[in-house]
Amino acid sequence: MWLIALKASWRQTFTLAMRYLFNFFSAVITMYIVFLLMFYGVRAVGAGALDLGGTLEGLFTGYIIWMIVLVGYQDLAYNVASEAQTGTLEQLYLSPVGYKWLAFFSQSLNSLLNLAMISVITAIMMFTTGQKLNLDMLSILPVFIAVYIQACGLGFALAGLALIFKRIQSFFQIVTFGVIGLFMIPWASFPWAKYLPFTMGQHLLQEIMMKGMKITQAPAGHLTVFAAVTVVYLGAGLGLFALAENKAKAMGLLGQY
Amino acid sequence: MPSPPRRESECYLDVQGLRKTFIDKKRKVEAIKDISFSVAEGEMVGFLGPNGAGKTTTIKSILGLVKPDSGTVTVDGIDCARNHREAMKQMAAVLEGARNTYWRLTVWENIRFFAGIHGVSATKEKDYFEYLLEVLKLQDKRNTEVRNLSSGYKQKTAVACALAKKTPLVFLDEPTLGLDVESSYELRAALRSLQSEEERTIVVSSHDMKVIQDVCDRVIIISGGRIVTDESIDGLLSLFRTRNYRIVISQNTNMQHAESLLAEINSGFPQAEISETPNTIEIAVDFKNPFEIYELIETLRKSGAPIESITQEQVDLERAFLEIVRRENGLCG
Repeated sequence: MWLIALKASWRQTFTLAMRYLFNFFSAVITMYIVFLLMFYGVRAVGAGALDLGGTLEGLFTGYIIWMIVLVGYQDLAYNVASEAQTGTLEQLYLSPVGYKWLAFFSQSLNSLLNLAMISVITAIMMFTTGQKLNLDMLSILPVFIAVYIQACGLGFALAGLALIFKRIQSFFQIVTFGVIGLFMIPWASFPWAKYLPFTMGQHLLQEIMMKGMKITQAPAGHLTVFAAVTVVYLGAGLGLFALAENKAKAMGLLGQY
Repeated sequence: MPSPPRRESECYLDVQGLRKTFIDKKRKVEAIKDISFSVAEGEMVGFLGPNGAGKTTTIKSILGLVKPDSGTVTVDGIDCARNHREAMKQMAAVLEGARNTYWRLTVWENIRFFAGIHGVSATKEKDYFEYLLEVLKLQDKRNTEVRNLSSGYKQKTAVACALAKKTPLVFLDEPTLGLDVESSYELRAALRSLQSEEERTIVVSSHDMKVIQDVCDRVIIISGGRIVTDESIDGLLSLFRTRNYRIVISQNTNMQHAESLLAEINSGFPQAEISETPNTIEIAVDFKNPFEIYELIETLRKSGAPIESITQEQVDLERAFLEIVRRENGLCG
């Protein structure tokens, strides 16, 4: 049953992505344009204006992490809101596999599509700006995946809110800017910041892509915190989602939009 | 055609003491109050009730989409609250007011997807899916995106998706809502055919009495969150069947004086209503017992009145339903 459901979910996710191809390309173009604006803006005022590693490469890695986080949580949260609005959410809840797993299946394929998209954008960004970064994929991918999982934790928490409140797109915007805020917290002054989501991932990615560090060379303490943060935030997201799901069922909100 | 697996238990769906209260702006609304019923395997049961009666809340509580305050639901002996995943393997539904399908996917893609997330392989069940398309007259629309279909075809696609899951129990909440007469008729015919061939247990909720009378064996009427009637359709109709007859006789030269005949009828059957046209006399009468009709016929025969027609007034489900709900509201009000 699980394998059949996984295949069905992947096929549906891929088919819908192809039907909404314009949306995919417009996302690529928008992200690229936003990056160009930031890149040339920062270059004009000086890289030190942002604490993203203090350099333009820092802006690169920060932007890449931001994209991963954005697509990671937005897919999950927007999907719940959109499924509720289109009236298909209840049908997904009728699956014996369970909605959480269906969301996870769909998200797993989305993650591949999104990582492909981010790779394309990164390549274009590097080409147009002439910036050189270390592309050691064996070191980069585990960081990407862990940050993506953290973003899924946030996504599940927001999806839970969407189950109850339905239209929370405005709140998503606030979260998007809140995430940028996380990246700007200077580690030296606030050591506790490493326990926040995404921050350690950003730090590791900077070390890998800018300084050529291998993931195996990272301090064990950093890797432990990174792994723990990933597990804790995913668990917290799933927990909040389960609570919201119960509340939505108790209030009869699943089918409302 | 492949059928869903047959089950051992006689009582397939058992609902006991289901209650649900919603809180709307600090006001408690009792949506369902102590709903209990059971449905036998292979039975097709109709759920009838006025708007807000609690039909949809009952169905959603059974399906686990709404968490009831109390009560138990078992499907094929499986407790839905304790073993939700196993219970969900037995059930599928088309829900009222929801799209139930993805509009940017084709009919075939929707069927494959919804069957797939229920663990039904599209490769293994391709023939069955084709059969559903045929029965529901969807073959020509197979590769059409649902957004480009009329509401009738959309609804039939939703039904196909629910049936493609091959679950022994299917809920259809307002399956003919918004359909034109032809589409509604086609869907009813398809449901009858599927039910007789596959012997699935089907619960149909509808405002449309014709749908229930046409396809169901039994009807459960809900009003004000309570079950007020649970009867076989035939049994319910017989409860409301009257001895109302309408007899038309022609006024011709062989007949004795019409006035004396009418006087005789009036004295023998004071409840009769008589109306005259230049050529006919119509007698509407509710006989008190089954033998009175012979007495009237004998009176007419003696007077030489030629009988043009005798019709018995038919009771339909709509009338029975209205009668029950009015009675119930009268009792409660």
